[in-house]
Amino acid sequence: MDFELTDEQKDIQRAGREFALGEFDPDLAFELDREGKSPDSLWKKAAQLGFIGIYYPEEFGGQGFGFFENVLLTEAFCRVDSGIGSALSFVDLGSEVILTFGSKEQKQRFLIPVTRGEKRMSIAFSESEDPYDLSSLSTLAEKKKEGYLLRGEKRFVANATLADWLVILCKDSTEGWITLVIDRQQAGLLIHPLEKLGLRMIPFGDVALKEVQVGLENRVGKEGEGLVQASYGLQGMGLRSAAQALGTAQGAFDRAMGHAKQREQFGKRLSQFQAIRHKLADMAVDIEVCRWLTYKSATEYDQGRIDPQFLSMTQLEVGRRLVRVVDEALQIFGGYGYMAEQAIEHYFRDAWVIGVDLGTEGELRDRIAERMLG
Amino acid sequence: MLYELNDEQRTFQKKVRAIYEREVSPLVEEYERKETFPVQLYPILGKEHLLCLRCPKEYGGPGLDKVSECIAVEELNRICVGIGAGIMVHGGLATDPILHYGSEKLKQNYLSPAVRGEKIGAFALTEPNAGSDASGIRTTALRQEGGYRLNGLKTFITNGTICDFVTVAAYTDPSKRGVGINLFVVERDDFGFSVVKKLKKLGNHSSDTAELAFDDCYVPKERMLGEEEGGGLGQLEQTLKSGRLTYGARSTGVGQAAFEAILSYVKRTKRQGQPLSKSQAIRFILAEMAMTLEAMRYMTFRGAWLFDQGLASMKDASVVKLFCSESVQTIVQKAMLIQKNYGVMMDNPVQRFLRDGRLSKIPEGTSEIQHLVIAAGLGL
Repeated sequence: MDFELTDEQKDIQRAGREFALGEFDPDLAFELDREGKSPDSLWKKAAQLGFIGIYYPEEFGGQGFGFFENVLLTEAFCRVDSGIGSALSFVDLGSEVILTFGSKEQKQRFLIPVTRGEKRMSIAFSESEDPYDLSSLSTLAEKKKEGYLLRGEKRFVANATLADWLVILCKDSTEGWITLVIDRQQAGLLIHPLEKLGLRMIPFGDVALKEVQVGLENRVGKEGEGLVQASYGLQGMGLRSAAQALGTAQGAFDRAMGHAKQREQFGKRLSQFQAIRHKLADMAVDIEVCRWLTYKSATEYDQGRIDPQFLSMTQLEVGRRLVRVVDEALQIFGGYGYMAEQAIEHYFRDAWVIGVDLGTEGELRDRIAERMLG
Repeated sequence: MLYELNDEQRTFQKKVRAIYEREVSPLVEEYERKETFPVQLYPILGKEHLLCLRCPKEYGGPGLDKVSECIAVEELNRICVGIGAGIMVHGGLATDPILHYGSEKLKQNYLSPAVRGEKIGAFALTEPNAGSDASGIRTTALRQEGGYRLNGLKTFITNGTICDFVTVAAYTDPSKRGVGINLFVVERDDFGFSVVKKLKKLGNHSSDTAELAFDDCYVPKERMLGEEEGGGLGQLEQTLKSGRLTYGARSTGVGQAAFEAILSYVKRTKRQGQPLSKSQAIRFILAEMAMTLEAMRYMTFRGAWLFDQGLASMKDASVVKLFCSESVQTIVQKAMLIQKNYGVMMDNPVQRFLRDGRLSKIPEGTSEIQHLVIAAGLGL
């Protein structure tokens, strides 16, 4: 066991942080958040610098690193701005399904444009308020001569109005699960945008599929493999959310530390009050827990031996600690923390959406218990 | 010992709930979205005798007690915390000091129109560099011919851009920390008074919050509260005590709203073919919410009753504020988690309850300050 990052990983982390510090302008972040707009110019720049799809092999436009390195980047980005960082970490959402299960032709067709900052992706699996619920799906892909005809409705799809391609989970006529990649702009696709509390730079929407035609060349892997692929995709989403949570908690902590060291009340800096010192100590512990759970899960994911029970534990623990850290950070800011001028205000809102993306406690406990108890 | 509201109080509760549901509920969504306060409510609530509830009848007020006020505050905050903020400051922090320390003339000039909703009040103590440490304010009121000249900056001021008058704390003698402070009534048209900017916030969107500047703002001596210079922050003791109790009711109100929303959601929702109400985990959460709300409500009413008897200490008020403002966090947070993606949608009031409820831990003494006050009250 080695808990040190390699020099190369440290370089990636540093490069991500320098990019974010140089480019994530707080005024821009404030404006994009309020208006619910995507950070398009930063996405393009990030792609130019090779930050998008860093975990793809070089032949598909990537850098040949693992998902662990992608987690390091997301953490570094969200630390500087939770909204921009999360948005950048979702532009390739679902592409790991293609990377792992797709044909060489599909990887060239879909992954390379993602790394170039030309195309964005997302997943559309769930049909309920629970992003991890794959138990009650009714989207049907009727097999035709040249492909499939899709009918159904997907709920709370990230990047719904933004993604060029959506990876869709559905059943074919023989009740076999398949995943299909569809073009968001194609006929028969109706998107109802949704306005949400946080992560407002990632537009959500409900997607209605009314007789959408999909060619056979857009089916990922084999028939009947869909559920396995989607579960794998959800693990990728869980890891992304955990990395966002880690960076967001760290970013909130950095800001609270800065404020506590500078703000004076009663003739002392806040950082000199025991109650505040203990809060910061607890927050630091919380972040370490988030970090090592996330890093372990990401490492296992790269090694192809992810333990779903451990990943659920990671999601459960990272989610509740994220909310706690950001809440305490806001409290250290006092009245200022409640004002939108401070970044901590959108960190608070973003944290709650990241928390939901991580999965909520009842269902995560169910999953852990299911593994332990059957 | 009686632990139940009496018939008169129950009738009052029913009455105010009906009025708030009729007059306030239809405004919530629009004004939350616009991030402005619906000022038309002032005369409407004035007509219903629902402004400045404890203001005595001789100034046109309803002359109710603190328990009744808490009943009304809970009901209003159950509907909207942001609108509740404006109404609370108007009837509490802005006008309480005038009632306690103002001359007869000031009471006639400000309380009577405030009760009718013809003039809107604000209260300005907090400054950019002095929040928890109220004695650290830097606004000065230096004596001039016939009055005082105010200079300073105030922030997080509820009703700041819509107020007709603002009760301002300033040092008449900056050399006497905490003691050399007096309260002044400044009118919106007074020369030298201005709104620097309106502030955007995490929650309480329908309340109006602003930064205010006093730039050589001349205030005649008759608008100082109290006869003597150096009234000190002690003048605010009763007002702050009352305000902290109000926060108990405010927290209970938003907690109740979140509870009702989630109870109804759980009753009508099926997940994976099963009614959500059959989930043991969900049943436990709702049971705990109900338990917490009862505790919050009894704490608040007990504190208010003590206040009415003249028995409430600052520690009593802080116990109520700390307990209720912390307890409501669990309620609104759990409500969010149960609804998953529905919870974070802007058209769902549950996310508003989270943002609005989060405020409770900050104003009128953060949770940290309440701990200090309680510890001091223990003789530590």
